[in-house]
Amino acid sequence: MTIASITQLICFVALSATLVLGALGVVLLPNIVYSAFLLGGVFLSVAGLYLLLNASFVAAAQVLVYVGAVNVLILFAIMLVNKKENLAAIPGLGLRRLLSGAVCGGLFLLLIRVAFTTPWALPGPEAVGEEATIRIGEHLFSDYLLPFELASVLLLMSMIGAIVLARRDVLSSDVITGEAVDQGLIEKERTPLLLENSPR
Amino acid sequence: MFLLGALSSVADAIGSGAGTGGLNLQLNAGAIAPEAAVLIALLTCLLVDLAGEKAASRWVPPICYAGLGSALVLLALQWNTPDLQPAFVGSFLADNLAIAFRAVVAASTLISLLLSWRYVEQSGTPVGEYAGILLAATLGAMFLCGATDLVTIFVSLETLSVSSYLLAGYMKRDARSSEAALKYLLVGSAAAAVFLYGASLLYGLTGGATGLDAVALALRTSASPVTALALVFVLATVAFKIAAVPFHQWTPDVYEGSPTPVVAFLSVGSKAAGFALALRILVGCFESFDAQWKLLFTVLAVLSMVLGNVVALAQTSMKRMLAYSSIGQAGFVMIGLVCGTEDGFAAMVLYMAAYLFMNLGAFACIILFSLRTGSDRIADYAGLYQKDPLITLGLSLCLLSLGGIPPMLGFFGKIYLFFAGWADHQYLLVVVGLVTSVVSIYYYISVIKMMVVKEPQEASDVVKAYPAINWSVAGLPALRTALVGCVIVTAVGGILSNPLFTWASQAVTGTPMLVQAIG
Amino acid sequence: MEFTIPTTIPLQAYLALAAVLFCTGVWGLINSRNAVRVLMSIELMLNAVNINLMAFSNYLDGQLIRGQVFAIFVITVAAAEAAVGLAILLSLYRNRETVDMERFNLLRW
Repeated sequence: MTIASITQLICFVALSATLVLGALGVVLLPNIVYSAFLLGGVFLSVAGLYLLLNASFVAAAQVLVYVGAVNVLILFAIMLVNKKENLAAIPGLGLRRLLSGAVCGGLFLLLIRVAFTTPWALPGPEAVGEEATIRIGEHLFSDYLLPFELASVLLLMSMIGAIVLARRDVLSSDVITGEAVDQGLIEKERTPLLLENSPR
Repeated sequence: MFLLGALSSVADAIGSGAGTGGLNLQLNAGAIAPEAAVLIALLTCLLVDLAGEKAASRWVPPICYAGLGSALVLLALQWNTPDLQPAFVGSFLADNLAIAFRAVVAASTLISLLLSWRYVEQSGTPVGEYAGILLAATLGAMFLCGATDLVTIFVSLETLSVSSYLLAGYMKRDARSSEAALKYLLVGSAAAAVFLYGASLLYGLTGGATGLDAVALALRTSASPVTALALVFVLATVAFKIAAVPFHQWTPDVYEGSPTPVVAFLSVGSKAAGFALALRILVGCFESFDAQWKLLFTVLAVLSMVLGNVVALAQTSMKRMLAYSSIGQAGFVMIGLVCGTEDGFAAMVLYMAAYLFMNLGAFACIILFSLRTGSDRIADYAGLYQKDPLITLGLSLCLLSLGGIPPMLGFFGKIYLFFAGWADHQYLLVVVGLVTSVVSIYYYISVIKMMVVKEPQEASDVVKAYPAINWSVAGLPALRTALVGCVIVTAVGGILSNPLFTWASQAVTGTPMLVQAIG
Repeated sequence: MEFTIPTTIPLQAYLALAAVLFCTGVWGLINSRNAVRVLMSIELMLNAVNINLMAFSNYLDGQLIRGQVFAIFVITVAAAEAAVGLAILLSLYRNRETVDMERFNLLRW
């Protein structure tokens, strides 16, 4: 056993431990701000795993997009909607959590069984290593050209849509008839379905 | 050096040795000309929108008509291409199946847009962005119909989904709309993640290929738990997209909370894309697991037909009733999928085309009614025939067609589905289909009865205070065109359905994948 | 029974890690009451998928690395989805003043 492989093994164990503990923290911690920071830790350790898997470009993309954009966005959202809320207790919550835990445990066992019993086509060809970035570029402009172009439409649309939904302006009148409008559904609620919601 | 590598990978992906021409020839970009027309319309809409709200409401509609109209024409030109070549190095295939479903998607967007203008203006939301997002959803759905590669399927699926979430939440001052969008987003993203997990397993199983033909090849030679798991994961997403029970929970909420023209698109366009995806993945890839997925789909179809049609009985909101009825209708279409015969596939295509007109006709009527009265409660339709004969007639014909009453278009579609099912010995499905059809006729007829039979003094308050009919406001003539067009096709299409039958069977015979599956 | 430490990390170790992450995400998806946390759980699930793809790409597809390209698309789409999700959440928060999933019941299930 060489020093390189020992280092690799230690890195893998450390990264997986951070990953698993971080993920559990994300879903279990009562304070959502801690969860968001732990999520950043999870993203970083996933990036570390990518480095172990000879994928430096995707690791960089993971750090830039997930940690730099998605996680910051989530933190912003938490700050914006962070009103102290006293969550009303729900009867049977503990039981529900246990039951869903059992279901997820079952799913986990199934996934593990599949991972270990399937005869994967191992060993595959030698990894390209440093040339990976070049290979990715070639793919994006040959056999994945169509999804690449389509992804640009998706990004454009989600940008425009997010702006439209999140900006505050309200058109005060119908452009054509000049009547007052409220940016709500045309079908108005007649009878409030819930009492808490009637004086709005 | 790199070029050589790229070329060899290109040749790999194509599979057939046509790799000697230039890159242009291999891209075969003409296959996506219809999508290009939609994309140009989308970008023009966004640019025009920069000139302000007034210019947008003047110019966006004609731009959309031009884009979608030329898309439909280009699709018609692609029909029965003699020498079918995969486009974009195996990412896309414009076979007749893809063309038929893309046409259904494009037509459903066109009609939904005709229904939208007045609704969007009257709610005070920006028109240009609305049209842009709806066109992006169309683009995603159209690519999904012809995608033959897991990556392309994923990206186009997400383009459709993300645009749909945005459209569902477009009435941003309405808590119901935002809530519908959030629920749709959470359930939809979870479904996408599950699909991706399945896709990653398939990628591992093929030993590093993402094309559907490679996946089919790998699945043919492996029979381990991994294929079952991948099948279940992929199937869950497909079932989510076509809203099959028990993956339907999002449907009634999203349909009730979304703007009604968006619901019209989701119930036809999005569903058609879902069925195209189902055909491509299940028939094209999982053919060696025929018995398994057919059993699963039989269960889904029976549950959808029973639950959709029975729960629709209890609804008081028109939109919600149509939501449950659309779940039931998806169950009928699944009969054709389970058959797996030429008639079964052709019946699916035919029924989707018929469903396009009858469902959008019904939506045109309820949108017009809610524009005039601000209500979508079924009880509020009481006595409508005296005030508004057009809505009464149109809605009655479309609902009768949805129920499958003889001279209408829906009857022929349904009878063809049942015939195909019976010929393939799917007796359980056909019997359940017949029984639930009767149930569905009951609730459709009760709406018609509500509109027609009530005496003038029994009319609802809403109908008593019905405004004078005025077609002069911009946007309403478009709605009227769509309404009359859909109703005429629904009513007369049944008698002239012969070309439709030929069209549907050509859609099957012109698709190598389906021909191979029929054997 | 003799237990030997493998000299290289096996593919299955990555798959198992992805399975843990995926199941944690599913559990969080079902049980979170805060809508932001539900979004985070979905991100966990997508990261699990990416680990799968990257592991397969390295072990089975080392030359063409299609899995890495797939993962890049997943990252792109996940970012778009997160942005849209948070925009929708903000507009809902303006209307309802809450992010509690249990109170998003204006529409009946």
